[in-house]
Amino acid sequence: MARHIAERLGHLLLVLWVVASLTFLMFRLMPGDPTLNFLSPTFNEEMRAALLRGFGLDRPLWEQYLIYLGKLLTGDFGQSFLQNQPVSRLLWDALPNTVVLTLVSLVLAYGFGIVVGAFLAFKRGSVAEGFAIPMALATRAAPEFWLGMLLLALFAFQLGWFPTGGAVSPGGTMGTLTDRLTSGDFWWHLCLPALTLTLFLQGLPLLLMRATMLEVLNDEFITMARMKGLSRWSITMRHAARNALLPVVTAFALGLGASIGGNVVIETVFAWPGIGRVLVTAVQSSDYPLAQGAFIMIAFVLVVMNTVADLAYAALDPRVSVGARK
Amino acid sequence: MWRSLLALTSVLVPSLAIAQTAGDPIRPLTIITQPQAADPREYQAAEIIADSWRKLGLTVNLRPLPGQQFSQVVWYERQRWDVTTWQMVGRPERGDPDELTYNLFVSANAANGYDFVGYMNPDYDKLAQAQRQELNFEKRKALVLQAQEMINEDQPYGFMVHPKNVVAFNKTVWDEKSFVPQAGIGIRSTWSWLNVAPLGAQKDVILNSVAPPTNLNPFNIPGQQGSWATEMVWDRLMRVGPDGLPQPWAAEKVERPDPLTVLVTLRKGMTWSDGKPVTIDDAIFSLQAPGFGDKSPMYKPFVRNIDSVTATGPDTLTIKLKAPDAAFLISSLAKLNLAPKHIWEPIFDDLKNKPQTAESIQEEKPVGSGPFRIVRAALNQEIVLEANPTHWAKPKVNRWIMRIMPNVEASLGALKSGEINFLADYTGDPQILRDLAKANPNIVVSEALDIGFKFLAYNERRPPFDSKGFRRALSAMIDRHLLAEDAWGGAAEPANSWVSPALEAWTAKGIVDRVPGAGSLEAAQKMLKDAGFVLVNGKLHYPAGVKETTAPYN
Repeated sequence: MARHIAERLGHLLLVLWVVASLTFLMFRLMPGDPTLNFLSPTFNEEMRAALLRGFGLDRPLWEQYLIYLGKLLTGDFGQSFLQNQPVSRLLWDALPNTVVLTLVSLVLAYGFGIVVGAFLAFKRGSVAEGFAIPMALATRAAPEFWLGMLLLALFAFQLGWFPTGGAVSPGGTMGTLTDRLTSGDFWWHLCLPALTLTLFLQGLPLLLMRATMLEVLNDEFITMARMKGLSRWSITMRHAARNALLPVVTAFALGLGASIGGNVVIETVFAWPGIGRVLVTAVQSSDYPLAQGAFIMIAFVLVVMNTVADLAYAALDPRVSVGARK
Repeated sequence: MWRSLLALTSVLVPSLAIAQTAGDPIRPLTIITQPQAADPREYQAAEIIADSWRKLGLTVNLRPLPGQQFSQVVWYERQRWDVTTWQMVGRPERGDPDELTYNLFVSANAANGYDFVGYMNPDYDKLAQAQRQELNFEKRKALVLQAQEMINEDQPYGFMVHPKNVVAFNKTVWDEKSFVPQAGIGIRSTWSWLNVAPLGAQKDVILNSVAPPTNLNPFNIPGQQGSWATEMVWDRLMRVGPDGLPQPWAAEKVERPDPLTVLVTLRKGMTWSDGKPVTIDDAIFSLQAPGFGDKSPMYKPFVRNIDSVTATGPDTLTIKLKAPDAAFLISSLAKLNLAPKHIWEPIFDDLKNKPQTAESIQEEKPVGSGPFRIVRAALNQEIVLEANPTHWAKPKVNRWIMRIMPNVEASLGALKSGEINFLADYTGDPQILRDLAKANPNIVVSEALDIGFKFLAYNERRPPFDSKGFRRALSAMIDRHLLAEDAWGGAAEPANSWVSPALEAWTAKGIVDRVPGAGSLEAAQKMLKDAGFVLVNGKLHYPAGVKETTAPYN
C-alpha cells in the first residue's frame, strides 16, 4: 500500500510538472501579450516596454521558465498581471465556491442517479423506464449553457424565484467559507447553478447504476438469494444495489475532479465566482500567472481525485488489492 | 465555324488589348474583423462592405480573429494585413478632439504609435500641430474642421458609424429627471451617479458590467468599466462637464494667463478618506509622479508636456508647459487623479529598484478624496463604493455597486427582476431592450450618441491601399446609413469623421454626406479608372506596369 501511494505521488508530481510546463509554453506561444489590453492612442513602445518589464516578460523564455518553476516549488504562483494580487489568494478565494457548487451538484446528481437507476433496473421494461431513460439521456446531452439559460429564463426571469447570478446579493459580503455555508443568501444563489449542474451530471450515475444493476442481477449470488426465498425488493436493494455501487463510486470521484475545472460554462452563465470564471477571465486577458495557477490547481484536483478513486475502489472491494503484485 | 471564331476574336482582342494596358490583377484582399460571436454588429458590417467591394471587381475575404490575436496582428505586424475593423471608444477626455486628431493621423505616430495605418501627409501634420497649439477657440475650431475635410479628401479610414450607448434603468427606483446626460456619454455618466435621486427605500445604484476591471489605483487605467469607479473615488483638478467641456472640480479656479502657464487654485477643506487634509503638495505630487522615471507608463503621456509645477501659496500652484497645448485642461487636468502624497511617495520610492510599475500596486484600503469611497473590490464579482459624506458634492445615493455579469441575457433578466436597477453595459441587440421597455413600463431605455466610432482601417503600407483613388473608391462603396440601420439596428449614426456629432462644437456639419462619390458604383469605378486601375474580365487590375508584389494576408 505504501509503495502504491508513493507511486501515485510520483505520478502526481510528474503530471503537475507536465501541466505546469505546457501551460507556461502554451500562453507564451499564443499570439499576443498582456500589454494588448492597454492599447490606446497614448500607448507607445516606451509604455509597452515598461509594462513588459513589470510583468517580467522582457527576460529570455528559459529564464522566465526557471523563475516560474522555482517559485512554484515554494508554492508561489506569482502575481496576477491584471488584478495585481497574488494568484494563490485569487484562487483560494474562488476554489471554495467551485467546490461547494461541484460537491452539492454531484451529491444530488449521484444520490438521484443511484436511487432512480436502481429503481429503473428493478422496473425493467416498465412505462417508467420508457420515460425516464430518454429524459436522462436528453438532459445529459443538452449543452450546459442551454440548460442554464432555460432554468434562468423560467425560474429567474419569469417566476423571479431565484437570482440571476452571483454568489451573494448586491453589496453583500462573502466572508469565510463558514460564513458562506451558513448564509441563506449564498444557498439561494447556489440553487440555479447547482440545479443546472445536477441535471447535467445525473445521467451518468443513473445509467451506470441501472446497467450495473442489471448485470449484477444475473450473478449467481442473486440466484442464491432468490433460492433462499428473499423478497425481490430485498434482493435488489440489499444485495444487488450494494454490489452495483462500485463503478458509481469511482465515477463520483472522477466526476468531482473533472467538474472542478469543467464548470467554466455554468460559472459564466450564472456569474458564479469560481475557478472556471477565473480561468476564462485570465485566458481572455493573457493573464499568464493566473491562468497557469488555475490550470495547475485543476490538474492537481483531477489527479488527486483519480488517486482517491483508485483507493476507494480498493477499500470498497476486497477483491481489489492495490499493494500486491502477483 | 468561322462565325464562332469571329465572335471569339471580337471578345478576346479587346480584352487582350486592355490586359496589355493593365498591371497585375489585385491579390485577394482580406478584412480582419472580430469574430461574429464577439461583435455581431461589426462582423455583419464587414460582410456588407465586403459584398459592396466585390462589385468593383475585387476578391474580398473576411478573416475573424480572436481578441488577443486580432490586436497582435493589427498592432505589431503592421506589414501583414490589408484592412481591419477597429474602434475608438468614447471617454470623457475625448470631449476635446485633440487626442484623436493628433494621435490617429500624424505621421510621427506611424512607426509604432496609433497611426497604425501608416497615413503620411505633411500638410495634415501641420494642421494637427497647429490646432494643438491654438488657444483661441474659433481659430482652433476652424483648424479642426479643416483637418476633418483633409481626411475626408484622403480617406485613410473607411468610417462606418458612431454607435449609441444604449442603457436602461428602473424608473420606480430612480427619478428619471435626475439623471444627467453627458455629451458623448449619455446618462451613464459620473454626473448621473452624483445627482441621481432615489424615489423610495432603495438608495443603492446597482449596475452591471460585462467585463471585470483591473485593479483600482490612482495611477492605473482599469479599463472602461473600472474607470467608472476610479473617476468617482479619486478627484481631479478638473472634470469634463455634462457639456463635454472641462470645468474646475478639485480646483476652485483654473486660469491660463499665457499659452505656457496654467494657474490653479485648490478647493479648500478637502480631506482624504484616511482623514488627512488634501494639500497643495498632494496636488503637485499628483501632477509630477507619473513623470518619475518609467514607473507610471499609463499616465506618463499626460504629464509629458509639463515643464514644472510649483506652489505659489498654501492653495495655489503654477504649471509651466513645454509647448502650448490647447487641450491641456481636458487631456491632463481632467485626467490625472489626485493621489495622497503621504501614501504614494513611499510607494514610488520603493518602486525605484523594482521592475514593477505603479499600475501594479493594489492598496489594502485605497485612499482617495472623491465623492465615493471603495468599500470592496472583488474584481471578478462586484465593486462596492459608498458615498463620501464629507465631500462637497456628496451623492444622493448610499452606495454604488457594480456587478460583474458576463452573461448579457442574465443582465437583462436582472434588470427586469430588480436585482440591478441600472443596465449600464449592454452589448446585445438594442431592439430586445426596446421591446423589454415596451412590455415593462417601469423600465426606461436611454440612447445617446457616443464620442467613439467604428471604422475600417486601410493599411497604406500595402498596395493598392497606398493609392488615394483606390481608398476613395472603397470608401464611396460603404453605405453608412445601411450599416447604422441594419448592422447596428438603429443604435448608431453614420460616420465620416473621428469627431462625433455628439461634440457639436467640433463637428464638421454634413461631412457624412460629403464622402467623395458616396454610394455610387459609377463614381467609385470612375475614381479607380482615374487612378489607373483597370477592370479586366470583371477583375480589378493595378495600373499598367504595376506588379503585384504583396502576398495576400495569411
